[in-house]
Amino acid sequence: MSVALKTFSHKGEKGYWTVFPGLCKGCGLCVEKCPKDCLKWSDQLGVYGTPTIEPEMDKCIACGICANVCPDCAITVEKNK
Amino acid sequence: MSTLPQMPKSWRLESKPHKFCPGCGHGLVLKALGEAIDELGIQDRVAFGCDIGCSLLAWDFFNVDTVQTHHGRTTPVMTGIKRANPDIICIAYMGDGGGYAIGSQHLVNAAARNERITAILVNNCNYAMTGGQMAPTTLPGMKTETSPYGRDVEQSGYPTQGPEMVAAITREGAYVARGTIANLKQLKSYLKKALENQMAGNGFSFVESLASCPTNWRTNAKDTWAFVEQEMPKYFKVGEIKNPAEKGDE
Repeated sequence: MSVALKTFSHKGEKGYWTVFPGLCKGCGLCVEKCPKDCLKWSDQLGVYGTPTIEPEMDKCIACGICANVCPDCAITVEKNK
Repeated sequence: MSTLPQMPKSWRLESKPHKFCPGCGHGLVLKALGEAIDELGIQDRVAFGCDIGCSLLAWDFFNVDTVQTHHGRTTPVMTGIKRANPDIICIAYMGDGGGYAIGSQHLVNAAARNERITAILVNNCNYAMTGGQMAPTTLPGMKTETSPYGRDVEQSGYPTQGPEMVAAITREGAYVARGTIANLKQLKSYLKKALENQMAGNGFSFVESLASCPTNWRTNAKDTWAFVEQEMPKYFKVGEIKNPAEKGDE
């Protein structure tokens, strides 16, 4: 497997949010689509050496739009039951 | 807690991250296609053909049988596979250069013969792999490498409207639609209907998808979405153009 599946997870009130820096290319499509503007650039670097993203979990509603629009499937969002 | 990325099952995890540029629309179209293949449960029956151009970077994208063909010749290769073994579900995946420029003769003739294959065309308004030259789908006034003052419709004519052209020459049973990466749910339903149309043996299925190309448009994420969501649908109307399931509304 070429992908080192390192993950950065964030736990919030509404859900569990994970980014895979080995897949994230830093295109920023998710940042524009977030309805709550809670995604910002992270200090961690993605696969192309560009910044990956991290959410402000107090604002995140775990809608999953960022995961849907990611062309690389680098984000997973699990809603709290 | 989840440790694996939520990818479609038909995606090949070993080849990820895929080779497309950051923000490329191909990833989203192939994600919708992968989900459609998963939902129909046809992964073991699909033959996937990719063209020259950016679409060839999908050659190791799926865990399905894949063939990469000459420029514009994906449609006849998939037609041949379909004729040799009608049980195989053939998907011809191409860009706008491979479908409307060098491969337009094959697309037009396959559509006129009503071949029972599915053609998926990704329209990003330029020739992206060679550096963003003007393509048949470049919008009027749009700046590219070879039209630095914008496309002049007096000199270069108007962009090709492929689904309208295919819908005009196909006979009954064909499915023609245009989706966009700005509405992935709709795009997935179009791709699913196109595959179902082929599985039912009705006729030619053609789906064009509007897609982004931030590298050659030289746009940031905000302008990329603005171009895909506002500029492109002004000329390329999104929707189903021909659906054999809806009869009698002519």
